[in-house]
This record gives sequence, structure tokens and C-alpha cells, in this order.
Amino acid sequence: MSHSESIVNPIIKRQTFRVTGMTCASCAISLETYLKPITGVKFVSVNYPNQSVSIEFDLNVVSIELLKAKAKEISYELIDGNENEAKEAFDDLEAIRLNTLRTKLIGSALFSIPVFIISMFFMGKIPYENWILLGLSVPALFWAGNQFFINAWKKIKHGATNMDTLVALSTGVAFAYSVFNTVYPDFMMSRGIHPHVYYESAVVIITFILLGKYLEERAKGKTSSAIKKMMGLKPKEVTCIRNGEEVTLPMHEIILGDLIILKPGDKVPVDGKVKKGESYIDESMLTGEPIPVPKTKGDAVTAGTINQKGALRIIAQKIGKDTLLSQIISAVEEAQASKPDIQRLVDKIAGIFVPIVIGIAVLTFVIWILIGPNPSFTYGLQALITVLIIACPRALGLATPTALMVGIGKGAELGILIKDAQTLETAYRTEILILDKTGTITEGKPSVTEVIWLEEDSNYSSIIYAIESLSEHPLAQAVLNHFKTLKTETFPISSFESITGMGIKAQLNQCNYHIGNQRLLVENNIILNHDNNALAERMKEDGNTVVYFTENENVVALIGLKDEVKLDAKQAIAKIQAKGIEVYMLTGDNKQTARVIAEQVGISHFQAEVLPSDKGNFIKKLQDEGRVVAMAGDGINDSHALAQADVGIAMGSGTDIAMESAGITLIHSNLDQISKAIELSKATMKTIKQNLFWAFFYNIIALPIAAGVLYPAFKFLLNPMIAGAAMSFSSISVLTNSLRLKRKKI
Amino acid sequence: MATFKFTTNINCGNCIKSVTPALNELDNIDLWKVDTDNPDKILSVDLDDDDAQSVIDAVTKAGFKIEQVD
Repeated sequence: MSHSESIVNPIIKRQTFRVTGMTCASCAISLETYLKPITGVKFVSVNYPNQSVSIEFDLNVVSIELLKAKAKEISYELIDGNENEAKEAFDDLEAIRLNTLRTKLIGSALFSIPVFIISMFFMGKIPYENWILLGLSVPALFWAGNQFFINAWKKIKHGATNMDTLVALSTGVAFAYSVFNTVYPDFMMSRGIHPHVYYESAVVIITFILLGKYLEERAKGKTSSAIKKMMGLKPKEVTCIRNGEEVTLPMHEIILGDLIILKPGDKVPVDGKVKKGESYIDESMLTGEPIPVPKTKGDAVTAGTINQKGALRIIAQKIGKDTLLSQIISAVEEAQASKPDIQRLVDKIAGIFVPIVIGIAVLTFVIWILIGPNPSFTYGLQALITVLIIACPRALGLATPTALMVGIGKGAELGILIKDAQTLETAYRTEILILDKTGTITEGKPSVTEVIWLEEDSNYSSIIYAIESLSEHPLAQAVLNHFKTLKTETFPISSFESITGMGIKAQLNQCNYHIGNQRLLVENNIILNHDNNALAERMKEDGNTVVYFTENENVVALIGLKDEVKLDAKQAIAKIQAKGIEVYMLTGDNKQTARVIAEQVGISHFQAEVLPSDKGNFIKKLQDEGRVVAMAGDGINDSHALAQADVGIAMGSGTDIAMESAGITLIHSNLDQISKAIELSKATMKTIKQNLFWAFFYNIIALPIAAGVLYPAFKFLLNPMIAGAAMSFSSISVLTNSLRLKRKKI
Repeated sequence: MATFKFTTNINCGNCIKSVTPALNELDNIDLWKVDTDNPDKILSVDLDDDDAQSVIDAVTKAGFKIEQVD
């Protein structure tokens, strides 16, 4: 027996690294494909615009060092360390990179301009012109453009290709051919071909691509501005009271329980509660709600919000990574790194794109040589260079991720947290929206409106209080609030059971008590007589939820509770319906109450007395009919239904956010946000599709022209320099289109 | 409002840090301070009410010794 063989439990760790050195979307795929096959690596997802990679790996098998070393092999650097350090290190490196890029761009332009002028206007007029051009081209290509050659080489060593391969290949071919003609002009001349040089093509292409890259780098930063804005909501220094004295401390020295002083205009540094003072707090950055919220003793405050007029003292309850703001930031970052289906498809295409382009380029060259007019070699070479340049798939790689960055970031600014790209891809196709009643359509804060005692005994209210105090149900809370003014003595409860969707069963002084809905009565064979039933019906007609209190087989009291409909509910639902989305309401409540609420907000389809588990089945049934179903609920007892729905929308209530089961979380549980979320999804997907269309369209149109299909008819062959400019332009236009989304009003 | 004084074993800055959440959490406390230079480590508290016991409970719960000074 091999007892000695110990089975090591895998220690799965998921970590996000910043990556430097990713210069195009193909890099992202290359890094992903390179890391994935490593034993012990479970999952790799690269976020190109964010320049990060999230890796799930087994710590027993793979070390972080190994991952770093592997990435380094193909010229990428992974940066780990704590969040802040990594970010700073990354930002520093990025700043240096952008600076170097600018220097190289300027240098490249300085050398390229004379090359261009000489080639265009002074050919044959300057002695040793080819040698002068050669001298000017070398620094432009191999100093300014060295990264293309270095990267391409590193990739090719591992059998990989990316955009740099195309740039290096095309400019390299142009340069090598020109050098050959400069050194041995006789070789071509003796074959009747003019020994043409292409220095200007090579250097101008490099310059244009550097320009495109530079502009792109700068614009890319803007796509993540929403996150940067959120990070800016954290103050650097905090004033708090330590041992009776006011001290100003750096943010990270704040501990739980610290008493923090907020002056007017101060950013709230932690999640906490007000201990002293009165003020208004602007929470718009988190909830999208423009109106400042009044805060007084005991009220919760959230990090990142801004104190308006008054002075407050707050107690720190959640600090650092645990604050809602930090959680939102990391959720948004993760979402931005996720990939929608459409991107997986694009990735597949981009992955095989470069080798295919090289194939097409070679084929073009061969065809020109075989059937092209004289000088066919020159034409063929030009076509080859142009094809390689024009097909650079950079725009393709930027199309989806940049739009997602902007879309998800914009959502966060509006108080709409999107968990992953897939949700964003589905939300706009919603056909049916299912709303939970309590907490979604209504305020979720029921209060007792009337109590009808069917049997009088002064002890009953105390018994109700004693039993309900063990329950966590919101209705129980409301009942407690109602009875708390009464002087109650405590009763020893011998058994207590909470029955989901029905109520509570308890035992006390050898009596059985039930508190719950009608279903609970039926289940326990407790019969409500005709008169009392009429009373209950009347309460329901008024829009009350009726809770029955029974002792053994007798119904002792009817408790009516009302949960007011949210102020904007009707308007918001009408807005959603106007989009052609059917709105359903599901509730565990009784039919009458459900009808009253549904009528109040203009919903015609509703189902009452639905158990939480049935909500999921209801959704599944609709999905089986081929409908796209969204579900909005409070995220706690609706988690099954939220997960079942194509789009789960959790209505956040302040700080308690259940983000796990829902694709979308509305920080402010405002129904109006639902149509905004759908709008956002629509706008983002539209941007992605436009981007992809332009990127593909551009390649599909431009590639044949570059190869020379227009030559037979129009004697037109695209100049490689124009191709370089066009390529840079196409990626800039895709980026600009994504940034346009930021300004779109939703 | 009245000031109450207690002798404690809250000796140093770190002790103060440990006791901070417990004292800040109390509703009736307005201001508190420990004089660690005093050999008796006097904690003086401004209370809104006369509930000195709540202070004693909180500090004890945080793991320190405390006794009210008359």
C-alpha cells in the first residue's frame, strides 16, 4: 500500500498582476496562451486596456516567481506586491514608457522628415543620396523602432507572433532590400530593373505607428478614468481623536473604532456610523443620487462620500479594503477584465490573424512576381510591405475591451455595478423583467397598520413579542417595532422553528403558537371562521399583508402590515415597459395585497404566494420558452432566482450589498436604475459592434487594395506610407468611439 | 455632563489603541483621555449621564483593569 503518498490539497490562489510590456491586443492573447499550459495554472485572463492579468493557480505547483519568469521569457513583466505598491510601481513604469515613447516618436520624426523630402523631391539630384538616406534611416528604424524588432524576435523564438512581427517584417524587408540596392545597385540594374530604395516607406511607417501608439497610450488611460476618479475619493490624511486629542494621521494608520472628525467638505475616509453632529452628505459618487442625504447620530456613512455643511464625528467600522468603496473598485476592475462572448470570438480571430496575414503577404508577392507587369519584383515587394502594415490587427484588439472599460466605469459612476462583461452583453436583450415586490417595488420597510384581536388576553402581545424577537424576517421586525412600546415580560420559549415562506412555529407553556401567513394556517389545519376571514379579506383589500397569530387551533389576532410603494416605482416601471419589456411581479404575499400593489404601479402580470424557490422555477419556465429574463430583487432571499435569471439585478440597500448572485448591483435601490442599466448595456454593445465593424471592415476593404486588386483596372497600388497612416488612424478612431460612450447621456 | 476618573492599567500608546474602539462605541461618552504619565494611568471620561459602569464594562471587555476613583 502506498500510504506514504500524501495527497497534497491544492491551494488555489487567484491573483491579479499588473503587466508591463503589452503593446497590442495580440500581446494579450500571446501572454494568455503562454501562461495557460503551465501545470498548476487553472485560469488566465488578460485585460489589455487595464494592462493586467488575473491568474488562478495552485500554490503547491506553481510559484509567483515561476509565473513571472515565464512571462519574462516572452518579454512581459508581471508586477505583484500589495495593491498600492503594485499600482505605484506600475504607474511609474508606465510613465517612463510613455516618456520613452514620446522621445522615440520625436526622434523618429526628425530622421524621417529629411528621408521623406529627399525621396519625394530630390531623387537623383543629390550625390550619394542613397547612402545619405541609409544613414538617416538607421537611427529611425533601429533606435526609435527597436522595440518592434526586439519584441518580434522574442516572440518568434517561442513560435509566437503579434503585431510587432508585422511591423518588423515589413519595415525590415523594405530596409534590407534598400540596403542591398544601395550597396549593389548593379545587381538589379544588370537585370533591367531600377534599383529602387524604400527607406522612406520604412521610416515613415515606423513614425506613424509610433504616433498611433503614443496617441493610443494616452487615450487608453482615459478609458479607466472612472476607476481613477473613485480612487481619488480616498483622502490621504484623516483627522481623528486619539486619547482625547485631535491628531492628523495618514489614511492607513486609521484603526477600527477610531473616532474621526469630518469638517465641511471632507471626504469620508471609512465606512462607519455617526457618533455626533448633524450634516448632509453627498453620496452621488456611489449612488448616482444627486441630493445630499441628511445624517445624524447613528446613521451609516460610506467611504468616498463627501460631507457637506455640518461637522460630524464618525466611528470607523470598516477600513481599507473592507469599505464599500474599495469593494466597488475591485469589483469594477474585475468586471473590466472579464470577457464577453463576443470578445472570445475576436480573440480567436486575432490569434490566427498574424500568421494568415504573413501568408497573404507572401502569396501576394508570389502572384505579383508570376503574373505582375514589370518591374514585377518592385511592385510585388511594395504590395508585400503594404499588406503586412495594413493588416495590423490593433483596432480589432482594442474594439471590445476599451468599450467595456468605459461602459463598466460609467456604470459605476451611475451607481450601477456590473459584475462581468457577459451581463452587459445580455442585459439589453431583456424581454421580461421580473420584480420582487418587497424591497424592490416597495420600500421594504413594512409597518403595522392595524391589529385585530379575536380573543382578548393581555398576555398575547407579550407572547407575540417574545416569539417575533427570535425571527429575522422583516415583517417580524415591523411587528416588534409595533409592540415594543408595551411593557412586556419575557416568556421562556421552549421551541422555535422558522418555516421559509410561511412563518414561525413556537412552543411556550405547553401551547403551540403560529405566526405567519394563510399558508401556515392551511398547513397546520387551523380554520379561520367566516366572520374572521371576512375581516382578513377586508384588510387585504386595503393593501395590507395579513399575519395570523394562533394559539393551538385558535386564531387569536390578525395583524395588518403595509409596505409603501416606492415613490418613483410607477414612473420607472412605465419607462421599462415603454422599452417593450414585459414586467412581472412575483411575491410571497397574498393575492389581494399583490393585486393592490400591482395596480398601483401599473403591472398587469403578477403572481402571489410564490415561495422563494418557485421564483427560480418561474424564471426557468420563461427561459425554456426562449425568453431573455431579467430579475430584480433584494439579493438576499432572492439569490436563487437572481442566479437563474439571464440578468440578475440586486437592489443594494446602502452598505449591505449581495453582489455574488447578481450580475448587476444597484447601489441605490432605485427602480429607475434598471432602465438605465439596460440603456448602458445597449450603448456599450452598440459601441463594441461599431468598433468591431470598423476594425473588420477596414481590414477587409484595405487588405485586397493593399495586395493590388485595383491595379489591373486602375493602375492603383497603395503606398506603404499611406497604409501606415491608415492603420494608426483606424485604432485611434476605435478608441475615440469608445470614449464617446463616456459622454453619452444615459 | 460630568467628568469621571478611573485608575487603569492602560500603560502605553498601543493599549490606548486597543481600548479606543470600545470607548468610542459608548453612546454616553463625549470625550475621554488616558494620562499614561500618571503612575495610576488615570482615564478621565466626560459622560452625558452618570453611567460610570458602562465605562468600566467597556474597558474590562477590552481586557484592561479599571477602578473608579471616588
